[in-house]
Amino acid sequence: MTEFKQFLINKLILFFMLTTLILLAIAFIGSAFDGDARFGYDAILAPVEYAFLCVLPTFVTYSRRELKPKELLFRIVLEFLLIEAIVLGCAFYSTLIDTTRISVVLTIAGSVLVIFLLVYIFAWFKDSIDSMKMTQALVELQKQAENESK
Amino acid sequence: MDVEIEQIEKEKAEMVLIRCHEIREEIREIAEFVRSGQGRLSGMMNGAQYEIAVFDLYYIESVDGRTYLYTQKNVYETSYRLYELEKLLKPKRFQRISKSTLVNLMKIQSIQPAFNGRFMILLKSGEKVIISRNYVKAFKCALKGEKENDGI
Repeated sequence: MTEFKQFLINKLILFFMLTTLILLAIAFIGSAFDGDARFGYDAILAPVEYAFLCVLPTFVTYSRRELKPKELLFRIVLEFLLIEAIVLGCAFYSTLIDTTRISVVLTIAGSVLVIFLLVYIFAWFKDSIDSMKMTQALVELQKQAENESK
Repeated sequence: MDVEIEQIEKEKAEMVLIRCHEIREEIREIAEFVRSGQGRLSGMMNGAQYEIAVFDLYYIESVDGRTYLYTQKNVYETSYRLYELEKLLKPKRFQRISKSTLVNLMKIQSIQPAFNGRFMILLKSGEKVIISRNYVKAFKCALKGEKENDGI
């Protein structure tokens, strides 16, 4: 599998993860600021649409060559700023969200940050499990090699 | 060049003798091949040539077209290219972990997550080297004694 295909698969996983997290964020923010609001079926698609739009800026972190830590950090910051811009842009464009209230805007911006961090924490957690499995396999390999040399 | 193999009695020590008109690069490569087959490589440090046991190598790195052998305390330069060493040392449990690095699997202490799908190797010497994203799959296969195409 090419690296880009793997990258696309990761983005698909990210899309579903974001859909869930955005759904939770909308539920919490909505119930806090506008608990009595009622929506039609079209509202169900909102988390999916937001998740799709938020996945698009994550393509800035793709590179065929290995990025240096500073380059990667720069792209991650850019990715975050683009996501904030898209989500806040959508919020200001929407007639359903009361963006005249600064508390609403700040909560949306804050929830974007929380979701952004959560995604990276999940990725780190997955890599930690992978690295533990690799270390276990390594110990087995080293034991096997020791036994072979005896 | 003629090649002759002579069978000797068991009491005598085995050896490879190369008779040549001058020590050309080709001759050096043959000698190096024989040494590596016995688990030794030659490397230069401070203008002197040393023979290093493959077992003592922690990792091998290519920097600006030069290849360096890293042991616990010393760094030696070798005339080998990284891809040649990769081929030569594969049976001795060396694994490519990035475009420029080969690591001795027997000298790894642990593996830790790095950032963006990369992993960091902590060597028994305390040094740290990074497994590039593109080499993670092959590395996992090597740990399980599989070829990359066998898949995980």
